[in-house]
Amino acid sequence: MVGWEGTIALNNATGARLDDRIERSALGDQLAFEQIVTQHQGMVFSIACHFLRDRSLAEELAQEVFLSLHQNMHSIKSPEHLTFWLRKVTSHRCIDQSRRLKLRPTVSLEDVAEPAASASENDLFLSEMLRRVVDTLPEKARMVVILRYQEDLEPTEIARVLDMPLNTVKSHLRRSLSMLRDKLSRTLGEVTL
Amino acid sequence: MSRLDDELRNAFKRQQPPADFSARVLERVARQPETRPSLWQRLSALVETPKMRWVAIGVTAALLIAIGAAQYSRLTSKAVDDTGKLSQVVPPPQEKKAAVKPAEIDSLISHPNAVVVPKKHTLSLKRHQLAAARVEKAPEMKSEAEAAKDKLMLALSIASSALNDAQKAVHDDGLKP
Repeated sequence: MVGWEGTIALNNATGARLDDRIERSALGDQLAFEQIVTQHQGMVFSIACHFLRDRSLAEELAQEVFLSLHQNMHSIKSPEHLTFWLRKVTSHRCIDQSRRLKLRPTVSLEDVAEPAASASENDLFLSEMLRRVVDTLPEKARMVVILRYQEDLEPTEIARVLDMPLNTVKSHLRRSLSMLRDKLSRTLGEVTL
Repeated sequence: MSRLDDELRNAFKRQQPPADFSARVLERVARQPETRPSLWQRLSALVETPKMRWVAIGVTAALLIAIGAAQYSRLTSKAVDDTGKLSQVVPPPQEKKAAVKPAEIDSLISHPNAVVVPKKHTLSLKRHQLAAARVEKAPEMKSEAEAAKDKLMLALSIASSALNDAQKAVHDDGLKP
């Protein structure tokens, strides 16, 4: 059985391994870079996928993020810095891409399909509906929600990633959540959210 | 934690890209022309190793000492120079009667009240005034030199402690496996 000491030791070992990978990758070790990509591809791809709602576009963007990482590997100082850098670059690129392609859906919040079945019966459907409602938010508010619920980041961390004042992040979250709550309580009736 | 939070977490779960994603990234990396890091980036990377960092600190400290010593010697030599001048105060040059030139006669005729001072005399007068001003400033400069000396001593003590630390760190690094 592994106690908390064991867990800490395991985390330290993982951090040290990643540190080593970063160092080796900065020196041009392709294998180390591949390991970094494999470790972080889920995070980068998911942010892009949830934001752009298009898997092929998300994949393209995620590849560009990793290409950029490869060019800037020498500036990465630690595993934490690597994660922060990837989140930041992915978020900003997603927002830019969305603005460039005018990807924001033209459907209004009112047009979002209401689920036919109850939430408890059909969680997948509810999740899809939530994603669609979040999709109607402005770019920055959408990214705030994605970083909050996909990456489980605190508002202060989101503010750092998006170069945004903390109060703006908080107000984006508050407004988005109240909008989602309204929409869902109208849809689900008596279910309290 | 509300149910909405849970539902949002569930809706925005991480997704995995296609299986060949990393292979495709590496393929694109290989296709890219290799970008050489700039001189500044290479330099900063060099200084980032702990040993080199301490060497850089040592070099900076040595440079500071050299600059401080040069400044101190310059200030003290200036002070000595001015004290020497103090002992041999040059008497103001005697105003000699110079021969009046024809051009000056013309200007005297047109402006009878104007006083004509020969050019040579004005120059020597100015030099004398400058020397007198320096002599007056001598105590002030002496105190400045004293202050500079104090500063230098402080800088030297800081630099020597930094050098000691650097030496110790390099020694410790050498002991590490």
